[in-house]
Amino acid sequence: MLYFRTVKLGTKSLLLHPMRSLLTVLGIFIGVASVIWLLAIGEGISKEAQRQIEDLGAENIIIRSIQPPDESGGNFRQITAFGVTRNECKLINDTISTVKRVLPIRELSQKFAYTGNPNVKPVDGRLVGCTSDYAEVTRLEIERGHFLTTREVELNRPVCVIAARLADKLFPSEDPLNKQIYLPEKKELFKIVGVLKHRNATAAIGGSLAAQDFSLDIYIPVTTMRARMTDQETKRSGGSFSSKLFELSQITVQVKSADDVPRTAELVEATLRQNDPNRQDISVVVPYELLEQAKTTRLMFMMFMGLIAAISLIVGGIGIMNIMLATVTERTREIGIRRALGGKQRDIVLQFLVETITLSIVGGITGILMGLLCPVVIDVSRWGLEYFAPQLYAGLPEVARVMRPTIVPISIPVAFGISVVVGVFFGLYPAVRAAQLDPIEALRHE
Amino acid sequence: MSETSTRMAAVIRDLQKHYVLKSETVRALRGVSFDVPEGDYVAIMGPSGSGKSTLLNLLGCLDQPTHGSFLLGGDDVAQMTDDELSTIRASRIGFVFQSYNLIAQLSVVENIEVPLYYMGNLNAQSRKRSIELAKMVGLGERLDHRPTQLSGGQQQRVAIARSLVNDPYFILADEATGNLDSVTTEEILALFQRLNDEGKTIIMVTHEDEVAEHAKRVIRLRDGEIQFDKPVEGRKVFTVEQIQEIAHNADVATRSAD
Repeated sequence: MLYFRTVKLGTKSLLLHPMRSLLTVLGIFIGVASVIWLLAIGEGISKEAQRQIEDLGAENIIIRSIQPPDESGGNFRQITAFGVTRNECKLINDTISTVKRVLPIRELSQKFAYTGNPNVKPVDGRLVGCTSDYAEVTRLEIERGHFLTTREVELNRPVCVIAARLADKLFPSEDPLNKQIYLPEKKELFKIVGVLKHRNATAAIGGSLAAQDFSLDIYIPVTTMRARMTDQETKRSGGSFSSKLFELSQITVQVKSADDVPRTAELVEATLRQNDPNRQDISVVVPYELLEQAKTTRLMFMMFMGLIAAISLIVGGIGIMNIMLATVTERTREIGIRRALGGKQRDIVLQFLVETITLSIVGGITGILMGLLCPVVIDVSRWGLEYFAPQLYAGLPEVARVMRPTIVPISIPVAFGISVVVGVFFGLYPAVRAAQLDPIEALRHE
Repeated sequence: MSETSTRMAAVIRDLQKHYVLKSETVRALRGVSFDVPEGDYVAIMGPSGSGKSTLLNLLGCLDQPTHGSFLLGGDDVAQMTDDELSTIRASRIGFVFQSYNLIAQLSVVENIEVPLYYMGNLNAQSRKRSIELAKMVGLGERLDHRPTQLSGGQQQRVAIARSLVNDPYFILADEATGNLDSVTTEEILALFQRLNDEGKTIIMVTHEDEVAEHAKRVIRLRDGEIQFDKPVEGRKVFTVEQIQEIAHNADVATRSAD
């Protein structure tokens, strides 16, 4: 009953200055909401990063070929081969017992055209030579038709599977299946046997964690690629030619179990560098290690976010203290009256403390509600941005577009608890100061 | 002492109060002694600097004497802690101030209840009592009004109702009519007399002779000592009819203000 009265009185006193109370609550509100928001966004981003790394496959080891800097001064007679070779690919597969399978991959930038429809312009894309396992390992899903089969790879068939966006571009009004795609630079035709599902861009196979776009890919058997295009790739740009010689762009080593990954990675690296320990034309990426790193990064990221949120809560707390000090000065007379009418010092402390706690609880609860709205607000603002400023939206980093904020459950009680603690902590000093006023002086105060 | 025919509301013996200001000591009260029997109506007078305010603060248990004793219902207030003084103020003293001193965010009835709130005696019965007191001072229809919605006289009547709610040993009125016009002053003085007639003890501090003339007894202070302590000669007394008329007029004024 008495506590109820105290709370009721506190509320009444606060409502005497609604604007002031509102602004004070706002400080806590922003603090609490930002704790929840920042943690939710942080969690969302790191989950997204984790997902992208997992897309690479935690049980995979990726070896990329890297073209060394051109030292020949444009003299293309001295073209030297670089990168991983088919022999090395075979060697890894045959000698390391923990390896489940090895995927050779060769990638070229190409123009793709469809001659059946004169309105369709050639599209720049990526030609990927691979084997039938590629779809499974990189988790590509087929929309229609089938992915390259073992038989098609063995028999060097001129067939291809195309990614969804490329299909949309080249075949806006036709069924791409069984149509021929033309490669003007190579003067080759490939028959389409499958179309992939739409897929979000994901971490690069290069392991740079920059998002890679699969949506303009064409997959052909790596054997066909070798037979028809050789290992030398010559490009004409302007009046000059540039040429490079490499067997494979990448090999993806799939390990039998994720636990074996670190050991296998060492063996793979040792195998590849057995002749030249300082070999510069390859890089070995281990998503498993990236995943471990990402977990550490996530922790630091969350701590950082938490710190920023904590600062905003403290600022909110200082706001409370500021207001309560002003209130105490302003209500000195009231304090004097209450003391004269029998209020003990602790009654006065309690009265002002109840007011600050009420402010911080209101701020805390509304802040939590706002915090819970985080995913909705982000979705709505993404939608709004996409609708009203599509170019700006397209310019956003991939992660900002696909990231789903994830409310961290613990952040809700923590944020609320901190807001109450802040209220008590920053309210205590003004309250004690109020209680220690001399009643006679306080009564005389105008 | 309480066994005697007239019981004492307050017994003051050799009360002294010194303030230490930097190097010098100000002796605001230099040994004041008097009794206040129950049912008395005392006016404490004196020019500024006479120790009037100091005595008021001591009588109100807002301050403690440097020397001497102040017996309030047999307990020596001079020896009490801050918390005990607070309890005494809540339960045994009824304050009426010059500037009413109602709490702005509380309604009439809630203001009346404040001393009970600090005594921890808030219940349905106390609410009933507060409402009765509000009716007694003619504000029964304004229970939910805020102080800012009331005139000065009305606010002072609320303050008087508040001073009665804890059934105090005495009502301590500090220049209770100082902010009021002559009509309202009369209204308040009539109310005091009525309460005194009903047996309430009243101690009022004033510098106005016209106000003091309504008391039964005047104590005049000068330089921290009692100059004289004597019954009021030719005391002004309201007749019962006058009291009723004043109360009626105040009632009418209250109603017409609505």
